[in-house]
Amino acid sequence: MTTDQEPPQYAVARLRRALAEDPRTAEQGVRVDLRGEQVYLSGDVASEERKRTLDQVVHDIAANLKVHNDVRVVEAKAPVGQEELR
Amino acid sequence: MIRIAAVGDVHLAPDASGHLRPALEELGDCSDVLLLAGDLTKHGTVEEAEVVAREFGGLDVPVVAVLGNHDHHSDQGEELSTVLGEAGITVLEGDGIVLDVNGRRVGIAGVKGFGGGFAGKCASAFGEQEMKAFINHTAEVSDQLGKALEELDADVRVALTHYSPVKETLRGEPLEIYPFLGSYLLAEAIDKARADIAFHGHAHAGTEHGMTAGGVRVRNVAQPVIRSAYKVYCLEPAELEQAAS
Ligand SMILES: [Fe+2]
Ligand SMILES: [Fe+2]
Repeated sequence: MTTDQEPPQYAVARLRRALAEDPRTAEQGVRVDLRGEQVYLSGDVASEERKRTLDQVVHDIAANLKVHNDVRVVEAKAPVGQEELR
Repeated sequence: MIRIAAVGDVHLAPDASGHLRPALEELGDCSDVLLLAGDLTKHGTVEEAEVVAREFGGLDVPVVAVLGNHDHHSDQGEELSTVLGEAGITVLEGDGIVLDVNGRRVGIAGVKGFGGGFAGKCASAFGEQEMKAFINHTAEVSDQLGKALEELDADVRVALTHYSPVKETLRGEPLEIYPFLGSYLLAEAIDKARADIAFHGHAHAGTEHGMTAGGVRVRNVAQPVIRSAYKVYCLEPAELEQAAS
């Protein structure tokens, strides 16, 4: 649990590790920012479901935090144009 | 004109099955080959590899891949390569392949790569076993990449890795984790072999464009970086030869 005594740096580190190591998420590219009791998630994941799972993993570790999930679902459309290398 | 489509870090698993396929169906209209720059799966399981095989199997262009760190998470790298191979996807690990593209030979050498950091600010194979093992792995796979590139008998030579050979394409990532994102030893191998272009993934928050010290163009094609199912890069071999001479 995140307690009032724990420096926020350790709480952020623990959350980041959990998002990377918990098999439900296994996301290494999600950024975690903590401001008081508010936690902000950013980065990119492959689906809406994976974005929602981030909330669950954070909640399991630190139920007292309010999660703001700003993570984006990565575009899976064909690209527009191409790069010409000369 | 050689048209190379590339993407990395698709991190597929059953929950994301089929997401990319619609964008891939007519790949042959805009490209000649598709490169996959590792982290094809989320946890490196055979079940996830089967999703990758369905997603990228049976396309109208050849598909050439390297594995990433996620693909090794379940210690089943070989099984993954077998599943992908059965779907017609060539998985490179320290070796290469030459494809015929409209009469031109396109050589691709690939390796997962590893970390260690960049010239002047990198780790050394010294001290604890764990530290030596870390750097020796990077040195070994970089060496394999260099040899595989040099052995390619081709008009255009492409390096494909998961980890980054340069730090330019990491811009956007925290500086503190650069040593876990790539190694200059990969770039050294690419430069020595005078490759024409290098593709990598792994740095989700990085930048698309970079260059080695020797002037080889590097593209970070991690899907969160290119923000599409793939990107297409067009090379003109004759012009590349002129530029090199
Ligand atoms: Fe990745
Ligand atoms: Fe990776």
